[in-house]
Amino acid sequence: MSIDSHSATPTPASPSGGRVSGNPRFYLTNEFGLICLIVVFGLIFALLAKNFFSPFNLFALGRVAAVNVMIGFAMMVVIVTGGLNLAVGAIGVCGAMFCGFLIQVLGLPWPLAILLGLALGAGLGFINGFAVVRSGLHSFIITLATMSIFFGAMVFLTRAESFRGLPPIFSAFGTARLFGFVSPLLIVAALVGVLLSIMYRYTVVGREMLAAGAKPEAAALSGVPVGRTIILCHMLSGSLAALTALLVMARNGAAIPSMAGQLGQDWLLPAFLGPVLGGTLLSGGRASPLGTFLGAILVTMLTNGLLLLRVGEFWVQACLGVLLLFAVLVDKARRSYLAHLKVA
Amino acid sequence: MAEVVFEARGVSKYFPGVKALENVSITLTKGSIHALLGENGAGKSTLIKIITGVYRPDGGELFLDGKNVRFSGARDAMGAGIGFVPQERNLIPRFSVGENIALEANSAHPLKRIDYATINAEARRWLKMLDLDIDPSTPVSQLSVAKMQLVEIAKALSQRSKVLLLDEPTASLSPHEADVLFGLLRRLRDDGASIIFVSHKLEEVVAICDTVTVLRDGNNACESRSMAGVGRQDLVRLMIGRSEQIPEWPERDSIGKPAVLELSGVSTAIGHRDVNLTVRDGEIVGLYGLVGAGRTELAKSIMGAFAITAGTMKLGGKPVRIASVSEAIHQHRLGYVSEDRKQEGLILMHSVLENAGIAVWRKLASRLGFLTDRTVRTKVLPFINKLEVKTPSLEQTVGNLSGGNQQKISVAKWLAAGTQLLIVDEPTVGIDIKSKAYLHQLLRDLSEAGTPILLITSDMPEMITLADRIVVMNDYRISGEITNTRDYGAMSEGIMQLIHADAA
Repeated sequence: MSIDSHSATPTPASPSGGRVSGNPRFYLTNEFGLICLIVVFGLIFALLAKNFFSPFNLFALGRVAAVNVMIGFAMMVVIVTGGLNLAVGAIGVCGAMFCGFLIQVLGLPWPLAILLGLALGAGLGFINGFAVVRSGLHSFIITLATMSIFFGAMVFLTRAESFRGLPPIFSAFGTARLFGFVSPLLIVAALVGVLLSIMYRYTVVGREMLAAGAKPEAAALSGVPVGRTIILCHMLSGSLAALTALLVMARNGAAIPSMAGQLGQDWLLPAFLGPVLGGTLLSGGRASPLGTFLGAILVTMLTNGLLLLRVGEFWVQACLGVLLLFAVLVDKARRSYLAHLKVA
Repeated sequence: MAEVVFEARGVSKYFPGVKALENVSITLTKGSIHALLGENGAGKSTLIKIITGVYRPDGGELFLDGKNVRFSGARDAMGAGIGFVPQERNLIPRFSVGENIALEANSAHPLKRIDYATINAEARRWLKMLDLDIDPSTPVSQLSVAKMQLVEIAKALSQRSKVLLLDEPTASLSPHEADVLFGLLRRLRDDGASIIFVSHKLEEVVAICDTVTVLRDGNNACESRSMAGVGRQDLVRLMIGRSEQIPEWPERDSIGKPAVLELSGVSTAIGHRDVNLTVRDGEIVGLYGLVGAGRTELAKSIMGAFAITAGTMKLGGKPVRIASVSEAIHQHRLGYVSEDRKQEGLILMHSVLENAGIAVWRKLASRLGFLTDRTVRTKVLPFINKLEVKTPSLEQTVGNLSGGNQQKISVAKWLAAGTQLLIVDEPTVGIDIKSKAYLHQLLRDLSEAGTPILLITSDMPEMITLADRIVVMNDYRISGEITNTRDYGAMSEGIMQLIHADAA
């Protein structure tokens, strides 16, 4: 788990002012709980499946984990506002397909195509955010609708055909191995996590996102432009989704319309698993990039380990579902505990 | 000696790192109204939660009708005969009045049809007892806050409670409504009920209570003593351990000073018409009116939350158009301390540092929008210290602090932001005497130091203590203005005349 140390640096549990009584001590946090679970399951799988810690398995695991982490981030940045973004998968696929189209059909250089792909993600996120803020409807309804709209438009425009003519750098990036077992995809995910941590802790925008999510009325009367901030969260979510799909594209070596399943729905479970396991409050106002990172790692590890143990594919799905349910229940218990302390 | 209905004997309760109650006792007798007093943080709410079964005491015993009882939860206590009317409304808005009253009672059979005729008839009986003319089939959401309060009492009564606990029942009632409530409480007492009355308004306590228990720092400052011969000042001394000091401030004349805020002929999108209002440098202008007169709404319009549709608003002599609250705060340096601290004033789940710093983040940030806790801390700490906010650390969650300290933080936020005008809306609701006096002094000092204040309060003594001029608002219009002479009788009469001049 050399990667953990990357994202462990900006953990919010270590403010410069020394130990304080207001924050829970680190060993009481979700993040610590997740690290324990990762270690415990790591040991169990290492004992039961001898190839679990083989360099190749670690590489494969990291590559899948990176995508799950990124999907989690894309959802987390909207959960922070107390909303959600069901269209993460659809937006992601749109971004990647657009990037593939720009390279293969228009012949644009790949760095520019990547930027434009991310920009499309942000643009689609803007549509979500704008609709949510202007209509006052819950983001659930808006993004449920835009999920179909975006995905449908993408299928119509691309005639559901893949773009396979990508420059070799994509698949080289997708298959590269650092130190024999670390995927660069995982490095990207960790880097994004660090940047998000910095954003929430050290920038006005990030702080305003948390404030607007925690209590929009109070934030507005304290000078936070709440509507604009929520739109910004959705734009960030869109571009993170697009970045995620670009990573998947690198892994697959092609931009495929079905890379996130029908309507991008394959992403929904990991999108919620990471943040919720990681301790991001579903009601908004608190985010933990480190937790989301660890949560996604844990989920991927469980899937991978169960598969190595030859537990059937369907049982893996069932196990993951149980895990999400469990995580949500724990989240609820935690919130009522916070409410009990007159916090929430 | 009258029959003892309920007794808590030597009750203690500890939270991690805090002793909330230590060896506290209270004895309720049949047919009496018992005041439970104490400043915020004295342990009042902890004791209430123990009596109503929410908390289990760590030490001591509870007796109901002489029998030792242990409540396993709030429902258990309710079933045993402890009726509770909480400070926060606890009704289901979309249910009818009748359904709400019958809510706890109608668990006869899960599949049995609900007999609305009986429910409504039963509800009507209790409502009648309260002199309430409400149709039991009205949804609660259509009632005024005061009526909801009374329905809540009807609900507690309908459970035939042996002990009725009322937490700040008059906080949202008009004086007249409060009088009706007091009449009812006296009648209930005469019928043999045992009532615990929790209130910050000591005049009420002196008027209607028979016995009193005062808590201070988690201990009994006095236990179930008779109210005979006890006056307001005695209660204050018991609560804060010394007498109350009423400030003697000289009158100020700011007529010649430059106007900081000037509204002329202002109409707003939410219904204000032809509002003229001036706040000059160094003064506190009070805005008085009944609940619903449009004062908070005017404040929010000044802050840019609602559009000004006609007339002009000038800040420092220059006409301005403010499009958003963010613009009002960051560009025009206006500040607004909301009346609703928990919903609009503070972000309770965030830390002291974040709440106190939120309005200056933008100012402190580097050009790229980066800032560190240390920068914010340096800016905010002097004000936190100056206001003597009691908190273990700046990282403490604001929701964990007492109401007085929370209010100090919502003021500190604007001090740190350096506003040119501060609008303060009901600054001392639900705040104990010590903090209240402190906040009054603070607002006075602030205005002396050059930050004029527009003060909205429904607390007449507070208005007369603080304001230099009092502007009266009625039905979204200004109905007049008087200069405050600090003569309570004359001023309150003058204000009331202005309010009723319109109504007549």
